[in-house]
Amino acid sequence: MRVVLDLFRYNREFAIGVVLLGFVVIFASLSFFSPYPPNDSFVVPPDVPPSWAYPLGTTSRGQDVFWLLTFAIRNTLLFGFAVALLSRILSLVIGLVAGYAGGIVDRILMSLNDTFIVIPLFPILVLFYFVMRDKMSWGLLALAMSCLGWAYDARLIRSIAMSLRTREFTETSIFSGMSMRQILTQEHLPYVMPIVFSTLMNNMNWSIGLEVTLSVLGFTDINTPTIGVLIYWANQHTALVAGVWWWILFPVLLVVIAFVGLFLLAVSMNEHIDPRSRLNRVTG
Amino acid sequence: MSAAASTAPVLQVEALRAYYKISSFGLDREVRAVDDVTFHVNANEIYGLAGESSCGKTTLIRTIAAAIKPPLRVVGGSVVFNFAGRPVDMQKADDETVAAVRWKHLSYIMQGSMSVLNPVRRVERAFVDFAFRHIGKRKPEFLDIVRAHLQRLDLNPDILAAYPHQLSGGMRQRVAIALATVCRPEFIIADEPTTALDVIVQNSVLAMIRDVQKEIGSSLIFVTHDLAVHANLCHRLGIMYAGRLVEEGPTAEIFKAPKHPYTTHLVASLPRIGNTAPKKGLEGTPPSLAAPPPGCRFHPRCPLAMDICRTQNPPMVEVLPGRRVACFAVTPPGRAA
Amino acid sequence: MAPLLEVADVQRTYALGSILSRHRLRAVDGVSFTMAADRPEIFTVVGESGSGKTTLARMILNMVAPTAGAIRFRGTDLRQIRSGKERLAFMRQVQPIFQNPFEAFNPLKKLDRYLFMTARNIAGLTAVGEIEDATDRALRNVGLSLAEIRGRYPHELSGGQLQRIAIARALISRPALIVADEPVSMVDASLRMSIVNLLRQLRDEMGVSIIYITHDLATAYYISDRIIIMRKGQVVESGEARAVLDNPQHPYSIRLKQAVLSPDAAGSAGRLLAESATAAET
Repeated sequence: MRVVLDLFRYNREFAIGVVLLGFVVIFASLSFFSPYPPNDSFVVPPDVPPSWAYPLGTTSRGQDVFWLLTFAIRNTLLFGFAVALLSRILSLVIGLVAGYAGGIVDRILMSLNDTFIVIPLFPILVLFYFVMRDKMSWGLLALAMSCLGWAYDARLIRSIAMSLRTREFTETSIFSGMSMRQILTQEHLPYVMPIVFSTLMNNMNWSIGLEVTLSVLGFTDINTPTIGVLIYWANQHTALVAGVWWWILFPVLLVVIAFVGLFLLAVSMNEHIDPRSRLNRVTG
Repeated sequence: MSAAASTAPVLQVEALRAYYKISSFGLDREVRAVDDVTFHVNANEIYGLAGESSCGKTTLIRTIAAAIKPPLRVVGGSVVFNFAGRPVDMQKADDETVAAVRWKHLSYIMQGSMSVLNPVRRVERAFVDFAFRHIGKRKPEFLDIVRAHLQRLDLNPDILAAYPHQLSGGMRQRVAIALATVCRPEFIIADEPTTALDVIVQNSVLAMIRDVQKEIGSSLIFVTHDLAVHANLCHRLGIMYAGRLVEEGPTAEIFKAPKHPYTTHLVASLPRIGNTAPKKGLEGTPPSLAAPPPGCRFHPRCPLAMDICRTQNPPMVEVLPGRRVACFAVTPPGRAA
Repeated sequence: MAPLLEVADVQRTYALGSILSRHRLRAVDGVSFTMAADRPEIFTVVGESGSGKTTLARMILNMVAPTAGAIRFRGTDLRQIRSGKERLAFMRQVQPIFQNPFEAFNPLKKLDRYLFMTARNIAGLTAVGEIEDATDRALRNVGLSLAEIRGRYPHELSGGQLQRIAIARALISRPALIVADEPVSMVDASLRMSIVNLLRQLRDEMGVSIIYITHDLATAYYISDRIIIMRKGQVVESGEARAVLDNPQHPYSIRLKQAVLSPDAAGSAGRLLAESATAAET
């Protein structure tokens, strides 16, 4: 906790990132107070520009953009977080095991890893959509994307695990009778956690960006409101041509704020975990 | 062998104090790495500095070389060099003067030669980077000087074209020595230059250091924790304990008749081939420099500790000509005054 | 009765370089020796860097398998140790001490954790009381106690203390053999002899055999019973330690001995150095 406070005080990027992300999260949590369910339409007069009654205006389908957006950003953030979390677990397990076990296990896992690194993501996901079609849901897409998003970071974690493997305390652990699982989770995990945290942010950004792209093009479940789906519907109703600019502008603005917030957090975390910038011990 | 008869000392360190001041997370910590150290190094002399890890010897030579960065700060005292009659106070000198002095008058040999040899550049490049501007000749002449210098040190000038990784550890360290001496500096600081080397290689590197020192006639501070190396190389020896100098004198005399109980223990506990008499380890552990014990910093481990040792810090006293000790058991407080 | 340890013509090669320019490095090349089960001793392996002494230690600890030859512990070939249970049983008998006490424990973890783990997993104790008793006993054998160590982190202790704790950890399961790879080379001078004395005490009082791996002939002379001198993976000379070091026969052993700097040379500043340096060039 002290670290967080310290970061907040001395690292401007971190402070700005926290403020931006905090704003987005508060906005998303407002969805619980929404007077309208997200998928109902024509609950308010359509195409009203931003005003006191409807601060962000209403859509051509008679939805309040403000309340709709709270649902959309909530789903988008949750989606990003789910993908990031799942792919982190994958990359942790694969990276730590490959780095520790070495030899044939390492070679198999890393050739799998290389395969996933070179796979072109976007066409695969579009293909996935066409295969699944109506069965396509939020959760399935999250699962598919986490399966595609672990590879880079698993490599990073593996390289750290490899160097941890050669350190003497790993051998002390072995000769203390610890199992491989104990060594990985208790001895090595603390060393890779900072990296997991920082790549969590990056991975959220990556998955949110990809989700928005897919949704805007209609390659996802278009009945769950996300930022991308919102823009998709706006495009379907030719919102920009019709002059309903607020239907596009506010979702884009919000997702950009979320992006910048996450990015700043990732950057400042990176700086923090770099051992050279940390002064922890002094020797005479 | 005593070459100490020369005139003014080349280096005069006076009551030097260098502390690490750390304030992180609202916690202030002061590590007194070098506390009230006074000594001098004469011309054409090898001065050995011995002590255990974190006794402050690295901090001391860093301060002498004016290579200090926060959180390390010089709190008091002075470091004055005398380069051919021109005094240079390293703490007061501006960056330009320090830069001009470095390598031309004052150079270093470090433990990891890789810190001076860039792994992706040929050896020649290191000579150009470090020495070219100090020698002030045109490139071909400069390279001639370097080649002549290498030859004098029994190194094949062809190594200039090699990359550092093509050389063995001992050879790299020899190149580092050649690099440090090519400008014929008046003063050389050697920080554990042979610690990472095997014994047989270590000896030839030590012999090279001694030979080149004799040839240029420069002064040398040689830092190592290995007393056997000191015994075989240095003219005078200073023993540090927990940030302070506790004993100083000609090497032979210190080994023959150590005065400070710490030195006595160190010398007595050195294992020797052909001698299996039981040797004792010293009880206790070196103190933390962040919270050193009051009085003499050695008193918790000292077999001769008296009441006064627990409260007062013994001053460095000259007990014999050229022989200084900081211990109340050697110089009782009443008499020392 | 089977000997405690039997190293029979052991070889370990490493393949170096790329597929095109492959060459093999013989880290250990035909080393043999035997340690008796009924007479604890300090068996010293002396060598410079690259002599293969650490690879030999790792093979005896069953961390690396020999390419040829066999290592038998109490008659069992180490290659037959496969299952987790057999491994634990082996570790109960054979324990290591590593070179760098500051690296031997995870800096993020408490020290007592490793001691308790060893008591539980290796020595097979289950009751908390038993585990703490065994830990405390082992710590007392090295001049410490559980009360001093409990809850402490590695950075709070000195190198000498950490190395004592590492030795205590190795002692918890009451092993028959300890493999100590350069246990004092990173320990400060004023603490070094107490660690070396401790090894001797383990042999005399607890009946533990010790394989002491070092590059330092002086401490080897001080504590060893038998010694082998290794060079480039091969044993160049072996025998009773004092006899070998007092009067080495092999040219390499002679050079190694001459290269040892004697503190008694003080004052003759550099004379002996010059002699040993010329010996080194030949």
